[in-house]
Amino acid sequence: MVFDRIQTGILIIDPETHTIIDANNHAESLLSIKKDKLIGKVCHDFVCPAHCGQCPITDLNTPLHNTERTLIAANGERIPILKTVAQASIGERTYLIESFVDIRDRKKAEKRRIALLAYLNESVLRIKKPLELTGENLRLIEQQVGSGDFTTEEIRMQIRLQFNNVKTMVETLQDLASKAAEERDDIPENFREFFIGK
Amino acid sequence: MSSLADIFSLNLSPDTKLYLLLSTPQDINAMSLMVVKKILEVKCTPLVISLNQPCQVLAKSYAKEGISPDQYYVIDAVTHYSGGTCLPNAHTRYVNHPADLTSLGIAITEFLHQMPSPRKCIVFDSVSMLLIHIPSATASKFLQFVVNKLKISEVSGVFLCVENGLDPTILSQMSAFVDKIVNYDEQKNPLLSKHGL
Repeated sequence: MVFDRIQTGILIIDPETHTIIDANNHAESLLSIKKDKLIGKVCHDFVCPAHCGQCPITDLNTPLHNTERTLIAANGERIPILKTVAQASIGERTYLIESFVDIRDRKKAEKRRIALLAYLNESVLRIKKPLELTGENLRLIEQQVGSGDFTTEEIRMQIRLQFNNVKTMVETLQDLASKAAEERDDIPENFREFFIGK
Repeated sequence: MSSLADIFSLNLSPDTKLYLLLSTPQDINAMSLMVVKKILEVKCTPLVISLNQPCQVLAKSYAKEGISPDQYYVIDAVTHYSGGTCLPNAHTRYVNHPADLTSLGIAITEFLHQMPSPRKCIVFDSVSMLLIHIPSATASKFLQFVVNKLKISEVSGVFLCVENGLDPTILSQMSAFVDKIVNYDEQKNPLLSKHGL
């Protein structure tokens, strides 16, 4: 069967009873349950988190076309999916054809992207203001050199402090660049290795 | 935002007051010095936690303002880090590295016990410099630890920070555990800030 060869889960639902009439292989695999245990079961609270009487299609009349929803697998795992529901007539009866695509990888990538953006933002804050502060400290050191109130050792110590701070900020920047490079897929592999420093 | 007059009334007992003072990078050193002077004016002993300047340099800046070394205590986290000599002194403790939070925490605890004055106030100079060495989340946890210690010991605290230099999450966390956030520049130039300048 063609439907058993595609990487999209398909369920055929009776809209009146909300029972599952048929499922393809990918739906079985995603739901972690055999077809014979799937057929005849009511879909809500089983594979769909919507409660009885709150079916988005038959009760709430909400069209679903590539809409983000959740699929409940037999092991209880909630799988984020893109779901489309269409009506189709088979013989003289109308059925709901639910098709869904697993978007767990996409969700993971999104989470990583958000985490990276937060990290970038935080790292920039950890560099920008301290750099301004370092600039100000260097200006003060310059004044101290002219004042004659501070010993050479005191001046040296302060310059070394600013130098060490800048070094630490450069390390943070390097780390930032590496993290960004790991996320970007448009960097040639050779350059990526150089960039990340691995 | 509170006024500086209010901040430096420092009614330490029984209420412990904790402040987050924000300023531009240009003003932060002047603000630090002014805070120490104001703390001394209200007969309170400052404990300066310096991540910004070695204690020898601080001592000279303070001396210029007529503040003698026996009037304040310092936890110096930068002298060793900058290759300087850590001169033993009853009023000074050295921490090897600004990111050595364990040693910093121990030094704060020990000094707070050791300081004879009944009225004490720590000056944390500064949160911005701490962030060079550790991530915001770690800094926030550490500052929360310090704040808890101050509250238990009924000691006031002033945390200095460069304005707009904190991650919004950290700023909101810090807002929750300090009593007041004060913008030094708004206090310094109330007319300018009123007109958004």
